[in-house]
Formats: sequence, C-alpha cells, structure tokens
Amino acid sequence: MNIFLYLDENTLIHRLDPRTKLVSAVILFGICLCFNHPLYLAFISGGVVLTALWARALPNFWRLRYILLLLILFSFVLWPFFVPGPTRWWAWGPFQVSRESVLYGLAMGLRLATFVGIGLIFLSTTRNEELTNGLIRMGVPYPLAFALSTALRLVPTFAGAGATIIQAQVSRGLDLESGSIFKRMGKFIPQAVPLFIYAIHHTNTLAMALESKGFDPQAKRTFYYEPRMQRVDYWVIGFFILLLTALLYLRLGMGLGVVIRGRL
Amino acid sequence: MSIAVSIENLSFTYTGKETPALKNIQAQVEDGSLVCIMGHGGAGKSSLCYTLNALIPKFFRGVYQGRVLVKGKEAAGSTVAGLSRQVGLVFQDFESQLFSTNVELEMAFGPENHGFPRPDIERRIKRYLGAVHLDHLRGRQPATLSGGQKQRLAIGSVLTLEPDILVLDEPTTDLDPLGAEEVLVIARKLREEGRTLVMVAPEPEMVVDADQIWLMREGELVSRGSPEEILKDFSRLSSSGIKPPALMELFQNMGWPGQPMTVTEAMALIDRNDWVQKRDTPTPGTSLRSGDPFILQTEELEYCYPLQEVKALRGINWNVREGEFVALLGQNGSGKTTLAKHCNGLLKPTGGRMLVRGKPTAAFSHKDLAQEVGYVFQNPDHQIFAKTVEEEISFGPKVLGMDPKTIRERMAEALEVVELQGYEKQLPFTLTKGERQRVAVASVLAVQPQVIILDEPTTGLDYLHQRSMMDLLRRLNQKGHTIIIITHSMWVAAEYAHRTVVLKEGAIILDGPTRQVFAQESILAGASLAPPPLVQISNRLGLQALTLEQMVQELKE
Repeated sequence: MNIFLYLDENTLIHRLDPRTKLVSAVILFGICLCFNHPLYLAFISGGVVLTALWARALPNFWRLRYILLLLILFSFVLWPFFVPGPTRWWAWGPFQVSRESVLYGLAMGLRLATFVGIGLIFLSTTRNEELTNGLIRMGVPYPLAFALSTALRLVPTFAGAGATIIQAQVSRGLDLESGSIFKRMGKFIPQAVPLFIYAIHHTNTLAMALESKGFDPQAKRTFYYEPRMQRVDYWVIGFFILLLTALLYLRLGMGLGVVIRGRL
Repeated sequence: MSIAVSIENLSFTYTGKETPALKNIQAQVEDGSLVCIMGHGGAGKSSLCYTLNALIPKFFRGVYQGRVLVKGKEAAGSTVAGLSRQVGLVFQDFESQLFSTNVELEMAFGPENHGFPRPDIERRIKRYLGAVHLDHLRGRQPATLSGGQKQRLAIGSVLTLEPDILVLDEPTTDLDPLGAEEVLVIARKLREEGRTLVMVAPEPEMVVDADQIWLMREGELVSRGSPEEILKDFSRLSSSGIKPPALMELFQNMGWPGQPMTVTEAMALIDRNDWVQKRDTPTPGTSLRSGDPFILQTEELEYCYPLQEVKALRGINWNVREGEFVALLGQNGSGKTTLAKHCNGLLKPTGGRMLVRGKPTAAFSHKDLAQEVGYVFQNPDHQIFAKTVEEEISFGPKVLGMDPKTIRERMAEALEVVELQGYEKQLPFTLTKGERQRVAVASVLAVQPQVIILDEPTTGLDYLHQRSMMDLLRRLNQKGHTIIIITHSMWVAAEYAHRTVVLKEGAIILDGPTRQVFAQESILAGASLAPPPLVQISNRLGLQALTLEQMVQELKE
C-alpha cells in the first residue's frame, strides 16, 4: 500500500520551486481567511479543486474524502449554535440559530476543507526532500529541516508498525471494540509499549545508517535536487500577492463577502 | 597482497554490560578478498562489523581495547562519517536504513553528505544503480520495492561512496529465497570486481566461495580458515550455532570421500563412483491425515487489500484437519500471510468464505476466535509489552476473563512447554531473541488454542535456537495442536511439516504431503523455490528421505 501522499507526476505545479509552493500555500491560507460568506469561499474552494485537478492531486482528495466531508459537515452543524446573527430562525434557551449563522457555518466548513485541500496539493506535488531543501533555503537550519522531514517520513513507518502491533495483540484476545473509556485506556498499554520499543530500535538503526553514509549535520553538503527559482515561480508568487491584495480590498474596502461582521 | 583491515588484540565491552562482546580478536582482511563471519546469536558478529567503521566506539560506548586498522589508519581515531568513504556498512534491517522518497535520492544521500559536485553524484548514481540492477526503478519510492530490491538499494546507497571495504551484516536474513539470491548475486559480482567484502552469513551455503571464514563464539574468534577447513568440522559448527552443510554431512555419514558443497558436485561424485544404485520407485510419499474433523476450511476464498487492484488471494479452496503440521511456502507477496491472517479473523474475506470449525470467522467474536486459533507474529517485539515474563504470558488468559487460578495453571503449563521455567520474574526485553520468541509462543499457548499459526518462527535465530523452536512445535503437534508455519526455510519445512502448501500470486500451486511436494522440483522452480539440497539428492536417487538420518538409513538398507 502506498502510504505517502506524494504523487510522482510532472505537472507545472510539481516543477515549481518548493519555496514558491510554500509561499503560495501561506498566501492561499490568508485568502481563505478573507471572507466568511459561503458563496465567496465556494469560489476559492472551486479554484483550489481546479488547481488540484491541474496538479493531478485529485486521487489524494478521493483518498481523504471522508475527512474532507466530515470537516464540512461538522462545521456546518456545530458553528450555527455558537454565532448569533440578526435573522433568527430558531431559539432554545441560550442556543439560537439564524440565517447568517447557518451560512457562516457552511463557510467555515468550506474554509477548513480548503485548508486541508491546499495542504494536500502541497504534499502531493512536493517531495519530502524538496520541502527540506526549500526550508533550508528560506533560512531554516539544516538539522532542524532534516529533523522535520525525517519526522514526516517516519509517520507512515510507525503507522505500519502500529497496525501490526494491534493485530498481534488482537490475536491474543485483546478486544479493542468494547469497554468503558477507562478500560480502553488500559488496553492502550499493550499497544503503546511495543510501538515505543520499535520506534527506539528503528531510529537507532536509522541513526547508525545515516552516520555510516557520512551524514554530518554541521558539514557542507550538496543537494542533488537543486531547486531554482525560475521566471514562472516569480509569476506565481506575484499572482498570489496581487490576488490577496485584490481580495483584501473587496473585504476591507468594499465590505463584500461577509455574512457576520467582526469575524474572520 | 596488501592488508585492507587489520584487527589487533581487540576487546570491547558495551557500557552497562558485564561480559565483553568481543574478546582479543586478532585477524586480517586482505585486499580484494571475501571474509565471511559466522557464529551463534550474540557471538559478537555485528559488534565486530561495527568496529570496522567506528560505530564502535563512536556510536556505541564502552571499554575498547586493542585497535582496528583500516588501510593502515586507526578506525577509532576517525569519526563514523569520516570513515564512510573507506568502509561501507549495510545492515540486516533494510527497512530502517532507507528513508528517502525515491531510489535516486537514496543513492545520492552519501555523496550529498560529502559535498561532491552534482555531475559526479549523477555519475555515481548511474554506475551503482546498474551495479545493483535497479536502473529501471530510479524514480520509485523505496517503500514500494520488494525486500530484495530494498536490500540491493541499501547496498547501492553505500556503494555510491565507493568504499574500499564493504561490510554486509546478515544481508539476506529478512529476505525470501528469491530476494536472498538477488542479493548474493550482487555480492558475488562485487567480489569479481575486486572489492573487499566482509559478510556476516548465517548459512554455510552462502560462504562456499569465501576466501576465509571467521568462526565466532561468545565474543571470541575461535577459528579462521578456508571454507573447506572450517565447514568440515561439524561439531565445532554445531556448537557455534551453525547448521553443518547437509551434503558434506551426508558424505561423512556414508563414509564417502569428498566434500561437495553443491548438489551438482555431490551427484557428480556419486555417479562417478557408482556408490548408489538409483531406484526407480516413484515417490508415493506419506498420505495426509484423514479421519480427524476439519478445523479450518476455505471456500473460494478471495481477498483484496483496500486501494489495491490485484487480488492477494484468488479463490483458495483449502482444508486443514485437526492435528496437522502444515508449512506454507512461497515468495513474499504470494499470499501466505494473507491466507494465515484469515484463519484467526484478522482479515475478513472479500469473496468466498473462511470457516473455523464449520463456522465463518465473521460469526466469531475476537475472544472466541483467539481461543480456537492463535497467531504468533514474526517479530516477538511486536507484542511484548509487560514488565515480567509472567505478566506477558498471562495477558491472553486475563483479557479472556479466566479466573486467577486457571490463569496461574495456564501460565505454568505454557512456561513448561517452552522450557522457560524460572524466568517468571524476568524482564522480557532483556532476554535473547530466541527466548523472546519463546515468550511470544508461550503467551499464545496460554490461551490454549487448537490451532497455532507461526509467521517465520525461525527467522533471525541461529541453528540451535531454530532446532529447539521447531522441536517445541513438534511436541505441541504431538500433543494434538494443529500447527501451521509460514516459512522461507526449506529444510525446516522438509524436516518438520507433514504437509506443505506452496502459494504463488494468491493461488495454491502445490498442496500435499511434504515429500510429494518437494518431488515437484519444476513446479517449485516456477515459484522460485527449490527443495533443500539433501532432498534434491533424494529426488535424484529415487529415495524417500527428507532428513539426513532417513537418508543414511535408506542408503544403508
């Protein structure tokens, strides 16, 4: 089973410099925060989905479809109860639901899902090493960037070991599906201890392997994949900065795209 | 010949340990030669490897005496990273030494660390991807490779630093037969190119073309010599935890002169000297158990892993009776483990049915099924969690809700069967691999399931521990337990299993009494398997024997 999100394609987005992608993702996060009207956010979400289509990242969206749907659904159901709006539809004690709060809930759902979507496009088109590389070139010290990318890299490995450990314990009669919350906490130990030991063992071997291949975080090194900012990278960043400026003007200057004032 | 490595009176004791891991080692590796290190589990083989690239004493601390000279320079005087261009080290556990997101970057990592210019890195990647036969997989994610490919990539990623000496620490132990062969082919090729190789090898078949064998026992280098010298001393091999080469043992037992290492050599000698009258009797083999009720049955069993297109199991019809001893053979990915995991309900069929005592596994609760079918995973460390052996073994009975008295009884029984009495209060993690494996078996045994499935019960154990593990399983089988083992070890299947099942690409291609299955050499070859050397001789001579004793007896009749 493929446990990584990276999809080995050769699209324009894959070829962008990792720094461009990092900066663009951050600007896009900002753009998502510009509006709280679902219609405006729907346009942004639509744009992100089109980008995903372009980046051939849709398979990952499909893999995580339940998470994306749950995010939208939960926000849509929960937010309306916590944000008061002028056009009241329903009230019960301190709880009330209004037309604006429902729209706001929908917008928040779209916003959360779009955040995840942006992250997905980033991870689907950027290798771990490129991310490390991008971070280093943005001034993050190499040991820190390397630690981050190794941590990312180890998540699927440990998840795999965790699955095996659970199977091993279930085979001995461990029942994970019943019992009170406290009983379930107790069942955590037979899973956590072997995983912990595995993690220590694994990272120990990894550390030996790294050193044996001459790894030295302080020394000067070559990067086999040399990211280079090209003209298209500057165009992309420029485009997003312009877009953000324009959208900020819509929201702040013209007051568009708002269902509930005074909120992000 | 100049000396590549010189080890002078080397001793090492790990911090916190009382007994030294290495004692007064004195040896030389000549340039361009192949040295194989053999010995029992815990003999100090890996430790010796670690001293060659300064992991000992730089990574592992302890008391270090004597010295190791690599190309005339003292290893301990350099850092591990600094030595990486002289000594390349490949570990047994290939999973944890690969960490890049594609093959190319994995290969580039070493040269990147040394700051080589990019065109040079490009040249190295190209050259050594070819050397380990992975050119066609340059863009692949290492996680998606087969075990053999992963280990070859690990070797390649070390070769890109063009080290003078390549050290391979049990490079084939975790591999299936096909993967192991792939790695050995690479090792042979590197040797022909004149590279200096040091390899820890668990089996004598791997070391026949070595220039020197170093035999280790309890931290000491007990003997050094050519394969002919070392391998003929069976008692010394056995006491060092190594399986004596079967063919040489046969010749010695029969009083035939000669020390054949391969089946071809042995047959040539037998034919030339007319020692044996070949028998034409077709192999009837022993028949399978009958009469006992079926405990496991599959009907057109199919399974497809989520997000995968290819079916892992394609319409399996397979029945096991109570009291059978079955070996499941096949390469990784052939479906052995998938099939076995259906037997205790860890996987549920996506097509067809899996029945235990006539009832679909889906109709059982996990607890009930755990009492019918126990499953011992390959790595005991995936399940050991408790502070004492006692607590570990009583975990199963406890979660199944047995009363304290029964739990105590079950535990005592299980400990007795695996011969670990007196270990009750010990911390499981401090035991040896063989002992931890026994604890894992005991912890499944304490639940007293009728069927016990073991995934690779002998992998990573030395010969003596393999023997004692398999003898334990034989005793359990004689007591009435149904035993199913998944194994890559052909001699284990030949000597212990009554019935052998061979899987290939999710289907059963052979199923029958072990003797009959091992007579089908061409079908086995189709699954990239071969009977153990002794059984191949047996096949060629028209004999029934599966073990050395049987063969000697049959030939002397």
